[in-house]
Amino acid sequence: MLAVFRRELRAYFASPIGFVFVGFFILIAGVFFAISNLLSGNPNFTGVLSSLTFVFLFLVPILTMRLLTEEMRQKTDQLLITSPLSITGIVMGKYLAAVGVFVITLLITVLFPVIMSFYALLGLGWWEILGGYIGFLLMGCAFISVGLFFSSLTDNQLIAAMYTFAALLVIWILDFIAQSVPADAVSGLVFLALLGACLVALVYFSTRNVAAAAVTFVLAAAAVVLLFVFARPFFSGLIAKILGWFSLVKRYGDFSLGLLSLSPIVYYISFSGAFVFLTIRMIEKRRWV
Amino acid sequence: MIQVDKVSKKYGQRLAVDHLDFTVNRGEILGFLGPNGAGKSTTMNIITGYLSATEGSVKLDGHDILEEPQEVKKQIGYMPELPPLYVDMTVRDYLSFVCDIKGVPRSSRRQNMERAMEMLMISDVRGRLIKNLSKGYKQRVGIAQALIGTPPVLILDEPTIGLDPQQIIETRSLIRNLGKEHTIILSSHILPEVQAVCSRVLIINKGKIVASDTPENLARGMTGDNRLTVRVAGGEKEALAAARSVGQVVKVESVGSKEPGTVDLVLEARKDQDVRREVFLAFARASLPLLQMKSMDLTLEEIFLNLITEEREVS
Repeated sequence: MLAVFRRELRAYFASPIGFVFVGFFILIAGVFFAISNLLSGNPNFTGVLSSLTFVFLFLVPILTMRLLTEEMRQKTDQLLITSPLSITGIVMGKYLAAVGVFVITLLITVLFPVIMSFYALLGLGWWEILGGYIGFLLMGCAFISVGLFFSSLTDNQLIAAMYTFAALLVIWILDFIAQSVPADAVSGLVFLALLGACLVALVYFSTRNVAAAAVTFVLAAAAVVLLFVFARPFFSGLIAKILGWFSLVKRYGDFSLGLLSLSPIVYYISFSGAFVFLTIRMIEKRRWV
Repeated sequence: MIQVDKVSKKYGQRLAVDHLDFTVNRGEILGFLGPNGAGKSTTMNIITGYLSATEGSVKLDGHDILEEPQEVKKQIGYMPELPPLYVDMTVRDYLSFVCDIKGVPRSSRRQNMERAMEMLMISDVRGRLIKNLSKGYKQRVGIAQALIGTPPVLILDEPTIGLDPQQIIETRSLIRNLGKEHTIILSSHILPEVQAVCSRVLIINKGKIVASDTPENLARGMTGDNRLTVRVAGGEKEALAAARSVGQVVKVESVGSKEPGTVDLVLEARKDQDVRREVFLAFARASLPLLQMKSMDLTLEEIFLNLITEEREVS
């Protein structure tokens, strides 16, 4: 894992990608810092971090687009997979390298609060800033895990970048969508039924087994019907609830206020873990095609 | 050492490898021979654990590739069809990375890299970026990569493709040398190569083994009878008559004239009978000068085509 991590990190800075990411991020961060802290004399730095989250939308696809696509295109995945490394080790090494570039960038931005601390008469809220950074880092890790996953689906960097951008965009606007979706029980039922149908389709297309799909269908239908009969309140506002599971941005709220609470931390880590796991499964699955 | 047990691989509905069954003994150089798309690369990818077989198992010294992948992969150096190179690295960095992922201990890393670079004569390009190397050099870096960690088994998929004739000869002798310490499986669709290097040949067509033997045995077994071609100065009729006068010759056939005033004949004698002296004397008696005489051993090329076409006729 360490070998893959080191190679990948070096590859970032052997090509323009690493520099583009770091440079562009710091440029935007610097502009926001100058406008909202320096020019307006405002000591609240976590506000800068939270307004920076939109940068992930277009910088994360650039950071992650070549992670696994290049391995497939250059056939170097054959070297890695036939070596004694485990697939988990390979994927983790790559993921951590992308996270590493992000961490390097964040470390550079620490300069901004340091600059401020020279002028802060009442001292700077360092703990608050640290909390903001932890949240920001974890949110970045979650975005990067999405990009990692999409880079395992194709051997074309551009396509991987576009998938990632689309997915992040959807995650981004999820909160707006969740506000305006219907909240009544019937639409909740329809939504859940659609999700069930997707599940059945997924089972069928990944196993090509009619029996397995039928069993899934029966179970899913029974669950939906039972829930609707006995736990009707469960369905009101259900769509918004389910969409909310994927809202990465909403959970940053606490951090930007300087609150360090456990649940968003656990959420970000499990979100990243889930996508890294899916990536590992994708790579393993390719051997069986 | 390697047991391949009824391995099949399906891509969708297409059967790429069809119940392949063979063993490779320690110290052997086994050649996979087959037309493009015969399933050579797929088989190699299955043995090295890059792909999983749809059916069957591959064992190395009793360890199953799917159950103990780490254990097996440590024992194998693999050079796939396209050398798996990180083109934005220098040769030295690349080989050092390969040492890392193969878990070569630090103390023997230098020696490992030097040995591999020396054997493939790439020491002079060690500081260059791989993307700037020629195809031949890239190919050799790919082979060097497989030698890192001196694995007991080497699997080389078309190792001489893209090399110039001089390098092909060097690589073949390298493979023969490596065969003294390593067990090697190599694939090729170049027949003389297999003949020159391998101690045993598996001919594969449409995912099935159609023949398995030493190159010499294959060549001998296929001929059946003992055949000679001769070129005689003189008329066709006289020449045929003279040839028929030799008792051991069972069949004579004229194959036309390739030089003015001469005729070419194919004579067939029974197995294990050397008729060359009698043939010479027979033509001499008929005062037809014998200009050329050679025995017709089938080349691997002909055997190969024979086997493949037989397959086609059957199916």
